[in-house]
Amino acid sequence: MTTTFALLGRRGPALSALTLGLAALALASAPVHAQKRGGDIVMAQQAQPPSIDGMTTTAQAARNISLHIWEMIVTRDENANVIGDLATKWDISPDGLTYTFTLREGVKFHNGKTMTSADAKASLERYAKVGASPFMKAVDSMATPDAKTLVIKLKNPVPGFLEQMSSPRAPAVVIPAEEAGKEANKIEIIGTGPFQFVEYRPDSHVRLKRFDGYVANTNFQKPDGFSGKKTAYVDTITIRFVPEGGARTAGLQSGDFHVLEHMPTPTAKRLANDKSVKVFEAMPWAYQTFIFNASLPPTNNAKLRQAIMAAIDAEEAMAISTDGSYRMTHGWQHPGTPYFQGDLRKELYNQKNTDKAKKLLQESGYKGEELLILTDSAFKNHNDTAVTIGEQLKKIGIKVNIKVTDWPTATTTSTKKEGWNAWTLMMGIEPYEGPYNVVSFFAGPGARMQVQDPVIDAAFDKLNNSLKLEDRQAAFGEFQKRVYDEAYVVKVGDVGIYQATRGNIQGYRPYRIPRMWDIWIE
Amino acid sequence: MLRFLVHRLFSAVPVLFIVSLVSFLLIWLVPGDVASTIADPGASAEELQRIRMRLNLDKPWHLQMLHWYGNLVQGDLGQSFLLNRGVGQAIVERLPVTLSLTAIALTLSLLLGVLSGVIASVRHGTWLDQSFMTLALLGLSIPDFWLGLVGIYVFAVALGWLPSSGFVPIDQSFVGWARSMALPALTLATTQMGLLARITRSSMLEVLRQDFVRTARAKGLPGFKVVGKHALTNALIPVITVAGVVVGILLGGAVVIEQVFALPGVGRLIIGAVLRRDYPVIQGGLLLLASIYVFVNIAVDLLYAYVDPRVRYDDR
Repeated sequence: MTTTFALLGRRGPALSALTLGLAALALASAPVHAQKRGGDIVMAQQAQPPSIDGMTTTAQAARNISLHIWEMIVTRDENANVIGDLATKWDISPDGLTYTFTLREGVKFHNGKTMTSADAKASLERYAKVGASPFMKAVDSMATPDAKTLVIKLKNPVPGFLEQMSSPRAPAVVIPAEEAGKEANKIEIIGTGPFQFVEYRPDSHVRLKRFDGYVANTNFQKPDGFSGKKTAYVDTITIRFVPEGGARTAGLQSGDFHVLEHMPTPTAKRLANDKSVKVFEAMPWAYQTFIFNASLPPTNNAKLRQAIMAAIDAEEAMAISTDGSYRMTHGWQHPGTPYFQGDLRKELYNQKNTDKAKKLLQESGYKGEELLILTDSAFKNHNDTAVTIGEQLKKIGIKVNIKVTDWPTATTTSTKKEGWNAWTLMMGIEPYEGPYNVVSFFAGPGARMQVQDPVIDAAFDKLNNSLKLEDRQAAFGEFQKRVYDEAYVVKVGDVGIYQATRGNIQGYRPYRIPRMWDIWIE
Repeated sequence: MLRFLVHRLFSAVPVLFIVSLVSFLLIWLVPGDVASTIADPGASAEELQRIRMRLNLDKPWHLQMLHWYGNLVQGDLGQSFLLNRGVGQAIVERLPVTLSLTAIALTLSLLLGVLSGVIASVRHGTWLDQSFMTLALLGLSIPDFWLGLVGIYVFAVALGWLPSSGFVPIDQSFVGWARSMALPALTLATTQMGLLARITRSSMLEVLRQDFVRTARAKGLPGFKVVGKHALTNALIPVITVAGVVVGILLGGAVVIEQVFALPGVGRLIIGAVLRRDYPVIQGGLLLLASIYVFVNIAVDLLYAYVDPRVRYDDR
């Protein structure tokens, strides 16, 4: 295995920024290859996008494609911090209400038109109507005093506005103003990105080609996350949708595919000595959670939830569910990020304390009621976590029933107050985005533990309204304390994934999407 | 014959209506909706609701059903939630893949299945008979998804003769099309080949014991004529019946094969629609498959009359 960028798993709470930095050093010390222009790259991914109208969906399968075609005003860098993409800089007024973005000049759309602030404004207006995330609700008005300036006025100060606007989850991409009046899925696929749309054949592939009129961001020396100076070397990218994991691996081995979005861990280990492929581990990719329904007996009893939290051997669950690609960290934000809370409530993580669990169970007055664990067959991690934790809970005397459904059934059931006591979910993009969507998941009337908690709601409020970073960090600490103390959800551990390329692909660095810019075929 | 045909065609209407009604009700009984697949696993309830409203999924199910039938009688199968096109168009785009896959698999399984069944019956009790029937049993027993994956590893990874997955349209390259169809069609055909071989063999064995075969042999007809013209023609009736069923099984099997080989066919369209709750596509796709199945069975009934002169529908 030629691992040019391997972030190894199970290495404890290392700083993600540090690991990425080390990886960059490893890259720097690797043999230097001259970049070559040309060639066609085929990338295989499991799912096809529910839509290729980038802003309307939060699906990973769509992001993989849309972030090659479109660019955002602000986006995320290699360490998930906010970074300008079409914006060169921005100013925030002291009252936190006015955001003034200065846009790059001379940027061309794929149809040859020059991008201006009018396009950016129209795109955000469309996002407010059809975008999959609700961040535009905070906006009061927008203005374009000149072609390179966009001014956004908020109704109230929203300190997390930039974080939400820059999230690649359902990216707020900039499209030509002429397209912005169109409904979801009705637009022409025209962006300013390094690759332009050629064709979409549902159930088969999306094809993109290099946009030779691409105006790279010269404020940077090299690519950085979704931004930086991006260079398209290959002529075309074909993104194939191949649902069967074995067929994806076979395609990579036979040379039909050059890049795999995801390779199962056992396969990555099996191919460790295969010189024809390179395997990259991205860690952390997500974290595995075990969420309780705190409105339905018996999990409406905090003592019982605490008993379960005490009983769980998280490392066993992680080792089994991830086939070894995991690390044990307790934080609800990743180490090295601004909202990481140090050792706060670390003592309640991975307790595997059977005596304590049995004592708490007795105190809870548990009388052998059934604990219904909801999981799905679509994600191996979810299913294996449910089975492993289920077996652990049987050992302390809890009657467990595991209900396995398909993904849409599980996710819809989990939004209801009936039909489940605990639900296994891997959260990936939320912790990557920062604290907001992690806390919002457990806040307000739609809180996923099915009860509204005043402490979490207050923390969410503070997170949303405090202008000082320290106050927002403290608010996140309140959240972390509360979910551990009330045992609303168990953090099981961090999950890594493997991405893979053919041996002749150079420059590839794993990230939240497989990036096809700045890679070339040797 | 014409009266029979018209009668059968009319009787297909209530069958197809019931199929569409049951599938509609089943879809609505299953929890989960398309919003959960458009969104990420961690999407908030508000994000999900925004998507539902955009797709009009917040309206009561009976209104949606009436709307669907209203469109259907005008020949409109509705609009896919996810594919940015009409259901009819989505199906038409994928039909060539599924039809060519099914047609090639049917041809292969009929040719090889009937041939090996005939050889096994003629060489009844010999090692040849045993070998063919063992192979037929193996073909019947091996799950097609497993066979497909083994085929990919042998012919794509190890030998590099065929592509590992994907589809090349015939108008783009005939050779490319043939290469992309070879493994999937052979995999799909294998199970049915076994079934047809066993049916043909048992039917042939019965016919070969009949007096008219003995007479044909006694009057000095060459062996291949006795078998090919007299015995096989008579043994084909049950084979044709099974072939009609086989078409249905192949269409069902195509669903799995299209998944394994990443072929953009109707089966994969329906599976994807079920997993993502794209209701209009599930409805339209199931209606189409049911129609094909019904019409193939009508065709089989007509074939009886062609193969067996004793069957004349107008006499009834």
